[in-house]
Amino acid sequence: MDIRWVWESQNLAQRTLEHLRMFGIALALSVVIGVLLGLYLYRRPKLAPIAFNVLNILETVPTLALLVLLLPVLGLGEKPTIAASVIYSILPIARNTYTGLTSVERSYIEVAEAIGLSEREVLLKVRFPLALPLIAAGVRIAVVFTMGVVTLGGLIAAGGLGAPIQTGIHLYDRDIIIVTGLWVGALALILDGVAALIERYLRDRYGRR
Amino acid sequence: MVIEMLFRRIETVELRDVTKRYGDFTAVDHVNLEIIGGELLILIGPSGSGKTTLLRTINRLIEPDEGEVFINGRNIKEFDVVKLRRSIGYVIQQIGLFPHMTVKDNIGLLLKLEGWSEEEIDKRVKELLHLVALPEDFVTRYPHQLSGGQQQRVGLARALALNPPLLLMDEPFGALDPILRKQLQEEFLRIKEVLGRTIVFVTHDIEEAFKLGDRIAIMRDGRLVQVGYPDELVLNPADEFVAKLVNVDKKFKHLDTLKVKDLMVDVEKYIVEVQRKDELLQWMRDKNIEFAVIVEKGALKGVTDLKSLLKSQDLEEALMEPLVFSPGDSLASALAEMKRRNAFLGVVVEREKPVGILLANEVLLKLL
Repeated sequence: MDIRWVWESQNLAQRTLEHLRMFGIALALSVVIGVLLGLYLYRRPKLAPIAFNVLNILETVPTLALLVLLLPVLGLGEKPTIAASVIYSILPIARNTYTGLTSVERSYIEVAEAIGLSEREVLLKVRFPLALPLIAAGVRIAVVFTMGVVTLGGLIAAGGLGAPIQTGIHLYDRDIIIVTGLWVGALALILDGVAALIERYLRDRYGRR
Repeated sequence: MVIEMLFRRIETVELRDVTKRYGDFTAVDHVNLEIIGGELLILIGPSGSGKTTLLRTINRLIEPDEGEVFINGRNIKEFDVVKLRRSIGYVIQQIGLFPHMTVKDNIGLLLKLEGWSEEEIDKRVKELLHLVALPEDFVTRYPHQLSGGQQQRVGLARALALNPPLLLMDEPFGALDPILRKQLQEEFLRIKEVLGRTIVFVTHDIEEAFKLGDRIAIMRDGRLVQVGYPDELVLNPADEFVAKLVNVDKKFKHLDTLKVKDLMVDVEKYIVEVQRKDELLQWMRDKNIEFAVIVEKGALKGVTDLKSLLKSQDLEEALMEPLVFSPGDSLASALAEMKRRNAFLGVVVEREKPVGILLANEVLLKLL
């Protein structure tokens, strides 16, 4: 198996950058939208069951089907791939944000109110920091989801590391498939590892009782 | 930096006809009570007597169903609730330090929200740490790195941060072990003298009530049974309940016949055999205690407490030689000896091994 030949002929350095770019944009959007949605639902708890039901239904649509469904709206390439990643990742982040904010121990909230924090200050100074470990756990799940969807994006001309895997399948070239596949797997493990470290840091910093 | 308080000093806090019901249960039943500026008023009663509920109507954590609360003659409903609570310090048993904030951030939280600068906050936090007898370098610690007593001190410092003229305390020493509780009560008395502010203090411990309170308000089943100075309660109890609570009949019955062993408290959990200061610190932290009896091959070597230990270079320097009694000594002469030497505790030793501790206050209060 000629790793170097695969790396150069398939332009894997370039593909990796494309891949990480899509991953980064998708994850950043997911975090922003997910956390904001979680906050919003915390303020409007009546809407929470409805919102989470809708997100749960979206979650059950197979990735390939979702990509295809997005084609007529967003065309081919990066856009539908990023959109699909975000749609999948909002649920774990929003759900963990919501759960984190609502499950902060009652006694901390009571003390915060008793010493004279306004509702907004309780949210920003107490609830949100204490929810951070759980939010990070949600983001970590989103990292894995996003990695998978971005790789599938190769099917709809999004570039990234999905593209050489497609090429390998078309050419029936085992080397390309294995080398690229292992590389994507390694990347996923590294990113998940980084996410795990961040999660652990936040748990130590904000989760100790 | 001057903080805008709703009131600079307390003339009176008046509870008028305050009633709070939870369904069919009446937690507080038409209570009328006037707290005089500058006093420490104790609210005491068995659990479920409504004392905490009543306390919480003063900072509007609980809104009464009937009746009103006035501070300096003004109905507290007129005040903005956040401003009201910032003008009233609040300390509770569970301490409630925020686990994600350092000691400094916990104490300085309200200062920060009031817009103080970093230097002003730094300065004030150090002042407060000094006041509650904690070392300055504690600022960077997190609550889980502190012992229970230290956490309680930080809780008190936080409540005092904005210098509120009124302080509400809900069984602040309730969760601490007896020796530490005595220590903190002593320190609290000192702090109280320095601050001279109005305090409402909830407890279910009559000894604590007599020790700390100027006046004592006794509650039972949501009602106020009697309010008065300690001697009034002892000499003129309103009913059987009050008489029993203040234990009038037990007084000084048979001091002559008592031995040291009759009133010493258990020492087991404070005994440790260590050589080095850091070992001892770690041990005290693990056990969550602030006092230790050091032994060598089982024999008494000396006693120390966390405060002296932190101040000392090594273990030797922190060791103090306590008064030593044997279990069979007469209690009266032991107490006289302690009084003469101005010691608040003595170690009871049998064949060189510590078997108990004699705490002057504990003994007196048991006799009362």
